[in-house]
Amino acid sequence: MDSEIIFETINLCKEFGGLVAVDNVNIKVRKNTFHAIIGPNGAGKTTFFNLLSGNIEPTSGKVIYKGRDITHQPVYRTIHFGVGRSFQISNIFPNLTVFENVRLASQALGADNFKFWRSASAFKQYEERTWVVLKRVGLQERANVFARMLPHGDQRKLELGMILAPDPEVLLLDEPTAGMASEQVPELIALIQEIQKAGDKTVMLVEHNMNVVMSVSDQITVMHQGAVLAEGTPAQIAANKDVQTAYLGGLYHLNL
Amino acid sequence: MANHKPFFALKPDRGMLIALLVFILLPFVIGLFDGASPAQVWMNGSGQSKFIQGLAIEIFILALYALSYDLIFGFTGLLSFGHSMFFAVGAYLTGILLKNFGFSLAATFGMIFVASILQALLFGMVLPRVKGITFALVTLGMASVFHVLVLSTELGKFTGSDVGLQGVVVPDFISPATERLRLYFITLTILVVVFMLYKRFVNSTTGRVCTAIRENEGRALMLGYNTFYFKLAALMLSSLTAALAGMMHSIYQPIVSPNVAGLGFTVTALLIILIGGVGTLNGAIIGAVAYRLLDYGLRRYIGESASFINGAVYVLIVLFLPFGIVGTWRMKSLQINQGWKRLLGMFTNSQDKSDGA
Repeated sequence: MDSEIIFETINLCKEFGGLVAVDNVNIKVRKNTFHAIIGPNGAGKTTFFNLLSGNIEPTSGKVIYKGRDITHQPVYRTIHFGVGRSFQISNIFPNLTVFENVRLASQALGADNFKFWRSASAFKQYEERTWVVLKRVGLQERANVFARMLPHGDQRKLELGMILAPDPEVLLLDEPTAGMASEQVPELIALIQEIQKAGDKTVMLVEHNMNVVMSVSDQITVMHQGAVLAEGTPAQIAANKDVQTAYLGGLYHLNL
Repeated sequence: MANHKPFFALKPDRGMLIALLVFILLPFVIGLFDGASPAQVWMNGSGQSKFIQGLAIEIFILALYALSYDLIFGFTGLLSFGHSMFFAVGAYLTGILLKNFGFSLAATFGMIFVASILQALLFGMVLPRVKGITFALVTLGMASVFHVLVLSTELGKFTGSDVGLQGVVVPDFISPATERLRLYFITLTILVVVFMLYKRFVNSTTGRVCTAIRENEGRALMLGYNTFYFKLAALMLSSLTAALAGMMHSIYQPIVSPNVAGLGFTVTALLIILIGGVGTLNGAIIGAVAYRLLDYGLRRYIGESASFINGAVYVLIVLFLPFGIVGTWRMKSLQINQGWKRLLGMFTNSQDKSDGA
């Protein structure tokens, strides 16, 4: 698997006061791969994602996307580069309908954002895209429900739908299955896999469910206390002694 | 595609159409009660009708002003405590340009247009830096500076300082004294046009993003919207509307009181949309009617202690109608609608999948 590198970080650091949340992380993500980031709680996975997506600025280091330095780009540019990001805690528009949530995500990259003299429903292309996405994530029958009324599992699907709508090349998924009922997890993971394969997309995934991670990933990066502990294929990671210690010392058991 | 609707194709709003009809007929009906024929009312005869027209003009101006506040607070989620400045700039600029500089009405409107864009930019300048309550305080500060300027004796030659701006020369054809009915219909027309424009704006791609910003600005940013420009667009439209309301205020009122530049007048806008329903647009108009009539009625029949009862009524409204008149109405009718659907579902055995909206 020798495809080009799409995402890269160089000596990326983030400190909050005295706490080093992300410590000198160098990572290379290859195009069209499924790259998982794992690690115990507090390992800095979400902070690392926040740095990649531009939600926060690093203390030092660089984020390179397709050979371009995007470290200091404002957060609203991220999706324009082709990087979509979902959140661990559902981050939706609670008082808008499911449809409107996804429609807003579809509209964002178009050139019609300031046509305030025309009704939004006149722009059919965004509505059509919305229906495609809603069907994809299985929410088409809930389209007219307020997002806040959705059960948690459906909110996670909505969260995924909102980043699929603009059709980004890279999906940064921060625990897409967090809090989902366990019987719903395989379904969602299968969906993500399918999207990755069908659309030639690169997926970066933070996930705690080891069975999921081991079965879907092409590459795994293990983070521990802000730094990269190990990197490799699922088989290499499973055999790694350091990883075993980090996890056994923490709260998780590696069921392999 | 066949679905490209023309500009004017708005969802018919039965309630608002009825209200419009009422306001069109109101001067003549009141005249009839007073023993004046429609022709006499048409000729601007004095009497009860003329007084009611005056009250209604005040309501229209308040409604315009409340609409503008609903756009930035109710739809975009910007809590501004300096909104009265938008109105007062329009009012004072109109008065001063007409009185001291002999501007024509059209030229005055041009200046107000420019001024309202400038003050929206002034508020916009701080937008990227302050959020939420801090934005409220910074805008309060800006409006307070303007209030102090209006009250200052140095500028008293223009503003009339604490006495208020008097002796504005209003062109004869819209004189509130001799051509009140015409002024009534002009103000009503402005309100209808602005209302329709607002309806369109909040349903446009731009307005929808404004709503998204109110709901969750962080997510709107992540979706790829540079939220600053959307907030600025809402501020500009709001500022222009408020300044236009101020202009009509200056034309109608014999005295522009410096109170319209104060915090109290911002609170008036907030109260009106709280009564009517935040983020509904219709609520701004219904709230303005309720607010002005309540204020007028209590003052007339109770006198000095009116403001106390006024306050009590507002507390009751917030307690019993937390989403305002329109907001609560919409929720109730939604629930009743769903009830009917469920009842129907029991007989037809079809499942209603779209619960919620």
